[in-house]
Amino acid sequence: MQLKKQRPSIASLLAVASCSLLNQSASASEDDNNWHVDSALLLYSEKDRVDAVEPVISATRSFADESSLTVKVAVDTLTGASPSGATISDVPQTFTRPSGRGEYITSAGELPLDDTFKDSRTAVSVQYEFPLDRRTRISTGLAFSNEYDYTSVALNATVARDYNNKNTTVSAGFAYADDSIEPEGEIPIAFASMAPAGSEQPRDRADDDKTTTDLLVGITQVVNRQTLMQLNYSYSRAEGYLTDPFKILSLVASSSGATLDYLYEQRPEERVKHSIYWKTKYHRLNGDTVDVSYRYLWDDWDISSHTVDFRYRIPFAERHYIEPHLRYYSQDQADFYQQFLVAGSPQPRHASADSRLGSYEGITIGAKYGYRFNEDSEFNLRLEYYEQTGDRAHRAIGVGRNYDLFPDLEAVIVQLGYSFSF
Amino acid sequence: MADRCVIDGAAIDRPLRLRRSGELWQGSFEAMASPCEILMAFDDRELAQQLLQIAATEAWRIEQKYSRYRSDGIVAQINSAGGHGVNVDNETAQLLDFAYQCYQLSDGLFDISSGILRRIWSFKAGEKPPLAAQINELLPLIGLRRANWESPCFNLPSGMEIDFGGIGKEYAVDRTLELLTAIVDAPLLVNYGGDIHCNRAPKTDQPWRIGIEDAAAEGVGRRPAEQLLAVSGGGVATSGSSRRFLLHRGRRYGHVLNPLTGRPVEHSPLSVTVAAQNCTQAGMLATFAMLQGAGAEEFLNSQQVEYWLRRE
Repeated sequence: MQLKKQRPSIASLLAVASCSLLNQSASASEDDNNWHVDSALLLYSEKDRVDAVEPVISATRSFADESSLTVKVAVDTLTGASPSGATISDVPQTFTRPSGRGEYITSAGELPLDDTFKDSRTAVSVQYEFPLDRRTRISTGLAFSNEYDYTSVALNATVARDYNNKNTTVSAGFAYADDSIEPEGEIPIAFASMAPAGSEQPRDRADDDKTTTDLLVGITQVVNRQTLMQLNYSYSRAEGYLTDPFKILSLVASSSGATLDYLYEQRPEERVKHSIYWKTKYHRLNGDTVDVSYRYLWDDWDISSHTVDFRYRIPFAERHYIEPHLRYYSQDQADFYQQFLVAGSPQPRHASADSRLGSYEGITIGAKYGYRFNEDSEFNLRLEYYEQTGDRAHRAIGVGRNYDLFPDLEAVIVQLGYSFSF
Repeated sequence: MADRCVIDGAAIDRPLRLRRSGELWQGSFEAMASPCEILMAFDDRELAQQLLQIAATEAWRIEQKYSRYRSDGIVAQINSAGGHGVNVDNETAQLLDFAYQCYQLSDGLFDISSGILRRIWSFKAGEKPPLAAQINELLPLIGLRRANWESPCFNLPSGMEIDFGGIGKEYAVDRTLELLTAIVDAPLLVNYGGDIHCNRAPKTDQPWRIGIEDAAAEGVGRRPAEQLLAVSGGGVATSGSSRRFLLHRGRRYGHVLNPLTGRPVEHSPLSVTVAAQNCTQAGMLATFAMLQGAGAEEFLNSQQVEYWLRRE
């Protein structure tokens, strides 16, 4: 009989069930501590590149009518250097800063990194969730984020309905975002040559924008008392300025591979993404929890990616848990991704050397440790190591053959979290 | 609890009694075939009378609404729908949700559709246990999984029956205390036939003292001895009764029936009393423990709740 094996939880599950039957106890206890706060500090550090610090605080208030309001504020600060898109060369390279007023130099044999990169972003969102009837819940929200040269406004709504004695939940949602960008030094002309610092820069316009529409349908199924399964499909369409105004491509000589020029990149003005997400959560009878998910994503830029994520939570000594985490990511490059352009070849309609559009694999390995003070408050610490391996320069020309044009990336992630109710 | 039932309260204006006992007001009335008692630790007599009236009205309301003997109630409507769906009110929907949760948590041992077993199992003196064929005939008509519950529509296959006898009294106790504490912030105790819920003790160092029936004290017509229980907050409920078993050819058949087999649970305790957060939770834990038979103590120990258990 399963009842025997599952025993530790029955009294508490009955407490919850009887409180929801009676309403009174549930709402009375909610009145006592109806704000739940999750706070976290994330530190992300790439070796020789970007460092990020991101404090997040999220507060949820639950009301007696089963509705809830969540307010979330996140601030992140990025410092360091990120790849400009230019390829490695056997001579020192001089680049004009995006402002057009200064320059930076990359040594021979080094991957060109734009060290002017520094940004801080503030994001605020509000989400309200409420029951429409006994089987239907609606969640709707607004989000706003702002950084030095970028502003985003977004809204979303999701409806979830229960079937089959609440063992099946079907949900459908949409989100819409309107982003505007006003980059430092304005928006460059596509494929224009980078002009020397101090001279007139090849600029097209001061600002631009993009809109993103997301649609999602999903089903969550209680398979049995220990297993929960979720399947989602999402569709996302972005339109407008999808180019990165700070990214360039090297134009190299077709035989020697020597860099002749730097050209501003250009991406299509539309991107349609699809993704399928499957997740299973399994509670082992010994109290451990297994969480496995897989995502397949493909888009009309010809990018496709696979993400496999595995977490295994082991509670111990009543209040502690440890959760090893393993994540694997693999991506195929966009059809217009090029590590560089070759002089003499016809100019493509779109091209980018942004490594995030290239082919690569990433592995995250780490663990989270948590300590529960009581039902509502917990401290946790997450430590993770990320390693990204890029596609080797399979079509390097001349001098480029001497270098790894897609160097590996290593990063360390540390997150401290604390949640409590009051 | 599983073995108790809500009996029709024919007349709503049954007597209410209020008397002063020490520093308490003690109100009493009859409902759900049980003596009902409200203890109130304050001086205001008028307020005590008012609370007693509210308590009795609520107990009688639940008794009437969920009696399986009334032909005009929601339970009769569901049971006689002949396989058609019935749209239920919000309170009934919550009770059905709760019944389903208990059904799942007990792996089908707690089942509000198991009441039809009483047609063949009688625990009156001199009765015989039913034949296997009789049991097998009823088993296809038992099991909440055969019903379809998509709130607010409940669809019970033809021939099946449900009743809230296993939940009703504890639910009434908790509902009553909720109504009373909304009116006055004073120490209160609601006791319906031994199923109890109190908000807090009359004084910090002085818990409520309640006598509960000692199920081990057997004997027809003799008032069983009482066991004194100290409670300072939360719910207490008891499952079991010594006078309900069947002796046949030297074999003792307990009154707790397993809906999966249609037969009595073997080696179930005489009675189990559990203290928990509220009366409904306590009642369910006591019932679940009875259904565990020989494993009752092991089950209760693992739940880390306070309990009193009697065996022969």
